[in-house]
Amino acid sequence: MSEWAIEVREAVKRFGPTVAVNRLSLQVRRGECFGLIGPNGAGKTTTFAMMCGYLAANEGEIRIFGLNPRQPGALKRVVGVLPQDAALPGPAMVGPVLQYWARLSGLPDPEREAREALVKVGLSESWATSTQALSHGMNKRIALAQALMGDLPVLLLDEPTGGLDPRIAAHVRQLIRDLKGTRTIVVSSHNLQELEELCDSAAILDRGKLIESGSMTHLTSRGAEFRVEIARGEVPLAELQALPGCTRASLDATGALVVQFTGSPEEIITRVVGLLISRGVLILGVTRGRKLEDRVLQVT
Amino acid sequence: MESVAETAIICRGELQRALRSGRVIVLLALYAVFSLLVLLVIGAIVNALTAQMNQQLSQMGGEATTAEQLYEQGHNSVLGFLVSGDAMMIEALQQVPLVVLIVFKVTLFFLPAYIALMGFDQMSGEVGSRSIRYLAIRARRASILFGKVLAQAILLLGLVLTVDLGIFIYAKVTNSTFTLPQMGIHLAKFWLAAIVFSMAYLALTSLCSALTRSTVISLILNLLALFVFWLVDIVGKADPSKQFLRYFSPSNYANNLLHPALGQFALSAAAYLVFAAIFFAAAYLVVRARDL
Repeated sequence: MSEWAIEVREAVKRFGPTVAVNRLSLQVRRGECFGLIGPNGAGKTTTFAMMCGYLAANEGEIRIFGLNPRQPGALKRVVGVLPQDAALPGPAMVGPVLQYWARLSGLPDPEREAREALVKVGLSESWATSTQALSHGMNKRIALAQALMGDLPVLLLDEPTGGLDPRIAAHVRQLIRDLKGTRTIVVSSHNLQELEELCDSAAILDRGKLIESGSMTHLTSRGAEFRVEIARGEVPLAELQALPGCTRASLDATGALVVQFTGSPEEIITRVVGLLISRGVLILGVTRGRKLEDRVLQVT
Repeated sequence: MESVAETAIICRGELQRALRSGRVIVLLALYAVFSLLVLLVIGAIVNALTAQMNQQLSQMGGEATTAEQLYEQGHNSVLGFLVSGDAMMIEALQQVPLVVLIVFKVTLFFLPAYIALMGFDQMSGEVGSRSIRYLAIRARRASILFGKVLAQAILLLGLVLTVDLGIFIYAKVTNSTFTLPQMGIHLAKFWLAAIVFSMAYLALTSLCSALTRSTVISLILNLLALFVFWLVDIVGKADPSKQFLRYFSPSNYANNLLHPALGQFALSAAAYLVFAAIFFAAAYLVVRARDL
């Protein structure tokens, strides 16, 4: 059995003269929470749509648990998907629509599945609400509910918190956090802090191309860099650079000390902080790595 | 086996949606009002002609048997015109009130356009709004297509039966010679003929709807296709050197759908089946290959 839940190899998708996805290759491990990151038009939604079999890749290959998503019925009971901007069918009531989808998925108890999914997204009271009377946030949560039905091994969530108010977005994030480890999850979002917090690894896309991919630790350089916020005092850069394990020490545009290192982080952090204190430098805080946002802005 | 279950679930879901949306009521009303209009116009013309003939006969002082003979002659000549002079069909449809046959012919002419109105958005509507993505992850594309067409066919079956029943009840009430068993047999025949006729057009509508994500364009495409078929039929009939063209139009095979000879009926039905199979296969290939 392959360790990969999702494999995308050299995928190309064109819409007329526009190349939406250009020779994209990425792999998602089984049980991993994977983020798709990139600005608008980066090709995230197109990649999702190809993974679900909605769009056919012009070139390349996509496999979900070794299955070709374009094969009829291949993803049934394998993938749960929250598509972006897909309208709920109407006129219909929320509960019966979910029940209909659960029945179509071949789930053993469609009504129970539908009710449980509504509870998960905090809309248990909406069973008899018309799909045409839902707010944007409710619409999104119903779409998320249908993806959660059946405890499927792969979840593809395209902007699950996009357009949601902070409270509901936090609820959805918690939901994803609870699901982590129980299945393979791919999430796309413009909220990079959210992805940094949720994902084990990620891929950064820009204009259809893969810019960088890897574990979140790698992308945020948590194992090789830390920042010290300086309140006051002269930072002894030359002395810091001479410390064992320190490969580079510099001040960034905001005046923060950025230290790159090799070896054990706790030892070098302790040494650096100790030296700064001994030289009368006042410290506001220490953070490992850099923000994912910084990395994305740097490469896109 | 799973495809059959998917098709049945989608068909049921589509029917429930159509019933809940009130679309069925609108479609039924549209079909019924149109048929009623034709019925009233044709009924009025037939009644006026009959009255005129009776008046002329009474002025001439003719006997009742002569009047009956003349009436039968007139009836047969109209019937002959409607069934292209086929003696077997004239005999078989002798008992059917003329008004029913004329209304049936007229509604059959407009039925393809009605089917287009009924189902033009079955695929394009869902592809355009992307709601089809919720289905496509759970069911095979063929099941989605077939489930939707099946739902359209069932709806049409019910609507045509309801309207045909209304026309036959009207004919029974206005014609004392038209007995109940005759009514039952002919209602079944006319209904079957309309259903067989509709199959090809249901598949055509499904194909046009699968071709595009815009509902308006799918409707225009459908009406355009109907116009082309009508034109092909007209040209084929008008120009003997282009007679072969008629065979490419489904409506060419409509006449024999009421034929009493099973062979003739089967031939026509087979032609409609072939058209339906071609359109449906094309729709399937489009849906299978297209981006959703």
